[in-house]
Amino acid sequence: MSSMTHTEQLSVRSRRQIDGWRWTGRIFLAILLIFTVVPIAWMFITSLKTGFAAMQYPPQWWPAAPTLENYTRLLDTRDSVGQDFLRYFFNSMYVSVLTTILAILVAVPAAYAFSRFSFPGRTFLFFAVLMRNMFPAVVFLVPLFILMRVLGLVNTHGSLILTYLTFGLPLAIWLLKGFYDNIPIQLEQAARIDGATRFQAFFFIVMPLSTPGIIATAIYSFIGAWNEYIYAYTFLTRQDQMTLPVGIQRFFSENATDWPGLMAATFMMSVPVVVLFLVLQKYFVRALTEGAVKS
Amino acid sequence: MAEVILNQVVKTYGSIYAVNHVSLTVADGEFVALVGPSGCGKTTTLNLIAGLIPMSGGDIYIGDKLVNDLDPKDRDIAMVFQNYALYPNKTVFKNLAFPLQMRKLSKDVIDSKVMAAAKVLDITHLLERKPRELSGGQQQRVALGRALVRDPRAFLMDEPLSNLDAKLRVQMRSELKRFHHELNATVVYVTHDQLEAVTMSDKMAVMDGGYLQQYDTPKNVFDHPRNTFVASFVGSPAMSLFPLEIIGAGTSVSLGSPEGWSFPLNELNSRKANASTGKKVILGARHSTITVHKTAHPGAVPGKVYTVEPTGDVTFAQVFVGDSIVVVSVEPQVMLRLDEPVWLEFDQDRMHLFDGQTQLALNPA
Ligand SMILES: Nc1ncnc2c1ncn2[C@@H]1O[C@H](COP(=O)(O)OP(=O)(O)O)[C@@H](O)[C@H]1O
Ligand SMILES: [Mg+2]
Repeated sequence: MSSMTHTEQLSVRSRRQIDGWRWTGRIFLAILLIFTVVPIAWMFITSLKTGFAAMQYPPQWWPAAPTLENYTRLLDTRDSVGQDFLRYFFNSMYVSVLTTILAILVAVPAAYAFSRFSFPGRTFLFFAVLMRNMFPAVVFLVPLFILMRVLGLVNTHGSLILTYLTFGLPLAIWLLKGFYDNIPIQLEQAARIDGATRFQAFFFIVMPLSTPGIIATAIYSFIGAWNEYIYAYTFLTRQDQMTLPVGIQRFFSENATDWPGLMAATFMMSVPVVVLFLVLQKYFVRALTEGAVKS
Repeated sequence: MAEVILNQVVKTYGSIYAVNHVSLTVADGEFVALVGPSGCGKTTTLNLIAGLIPMSGGDIYIGDKLVNDLDPKDRDIAMVFQNYALYPNKTVFKNLAFPLQMRKLSKDVIDSKVMAAAKVLDITHLLERKPRELSGGQQQRVALGRALVRDPRAFLMDEPLSNLDAKLRVQMRSELKRFHHELNATVVYVTHDQLEAVTMSDKMAVMDGGYLQQYDTPKNVFDHPRNTFVASFVGSPAMSLFPLEIIGAGTSVSLGSPEGWSFPLNELNSRKANASTGKKVILGARHSTITVHKTAHPGAVPGKVYTVEPTGDVTFAQVFVGDSIVVVSVEPQVMLRLDEPVWLEFDQDRMHLFDGQTQLALNPA
């Protein structure tokens, strides 16, 4: 130590501090990981068991005879359970994809307009859009149900899509507006001078720069719609229309719940979300950290 | 190339006049600098010419075509922006190609035009890079290239050099002049730097508060500023201005100060003073037209040295005359001490007189 200069000592100390923080961070992340991974792992393990093995006590940490039977049954179109599951899956997919597409179609122009144009009532409207997010979703359950009944939309997927849009759009518009605010207006001006129409300038120059935001919006809308339970449970009563979160309930029966079947269905339900996230996560992270592409 | 004509152009934002009844003609092939302090309406004027924002009033012609209602894309102009506005997700090549693609030229034509422009600007080796991988100077060249790649009827440039470092700025200044000369281009060039305007332009349009204050050659603007704003804005160090009182009348008028001294005007300046609306005039003098005496001198006014700035070639000094500061220059071998009393003699042939009320230059009555 004695041969070290003052600055070297300092840098050693600060490096130790940084290491210390890094370890605190790692431990924290590890705890978080356990919280999220253990239930998923248990769900997966249970889905590989037979009904009998699932009920054993003490539990089998790994099934003595793992089986894919629960999955094949869910995907079997000749089996009534499989028919139902695939129907729910298809319904969920239909509602979520349509919600996502509509959310983007509405949020992109809305966010752009809020960002670029000044019109009477702009501030109020933007505030009104965001105000939706100040209330918990259930607050709107009864009013929206009455509204849907008046509109004749009860027992249609349209009621869910409209509802999910009202819940997803505020954040989507707000997120995308942040992107457009950060894209210098001169880029569009340059494009218009270079021979583009207003729309072309938006489409060729501005929109590609907001791709991370659009993808984040898509993921957010999709997951919101895919996982939603209360509204799907309230607005739809016909069994053939049910979405996955509601449909999966049918695995709970009065006599004996089919735990492995339920777990297999739940696992299958999380597959689209996980895949979507894995494929697009780099955009999602960029959207949340960058806000926009700096010029 | 074509001429650009602004006729009584107005742009208001609410009750603010960003551009206030501006009329000016940029002749075909002329380099015109729009110059003025920040917020005076230069960018707004340029955007109006480009058609990027709607006008509140007036007419704009490009060539002999009235363009009031034309979209930017139909005005056939090119623009270089202060922040360059390069498309960040496109390569340099695609940046240059974009205006040509929008005009639906064939791929071969686009390729050859882009290569030609890139060669002129010496950016051929950068064509595959993205804008963020370029230095400021290189980005500037690409921005210029995107304007040069087609032959527009006029170039509009909004402070294109202000983001460059001082050395590069001076170099690009000469290069831009060279381009203008070779292309015989009509250029409207916005800058807040009066030196850039003076050195580069055929004509300069000095703006302040949305108004066009003066539109003339740099030499005429320098020699005959129309009002006190132009007088103090153009030239560095700025022209010194200070208010004085008219004493006497006819062909032998003197100017007096509140401190009690006065000096006689020659005949021409007397006649100018007579044209004043009131008793107050503002005297304007550039440092190069003021002689500094170390002892009392007939016709010279007393002052006190406030600061001294030797620059090597010439020494500048600020001198308090009454309450006003006057900038003077002396040969480097002349030693001036702080607080030293000096007497300033104004060159009557090169001094300026402005009306104390209207601030306008006085013409002989
Ligand atoms: N979009 C706008 N809304 C309101 N005021 C504006 C807008 N654009 C410019 N202005 C005002 O117009 C005046 C001129 O602006 P600008 O042309 O950008 O000045 P310059 O380019 O000379 O610095 C300024 O006072 C500015 O605040
Ligand atoms: Mg400006």
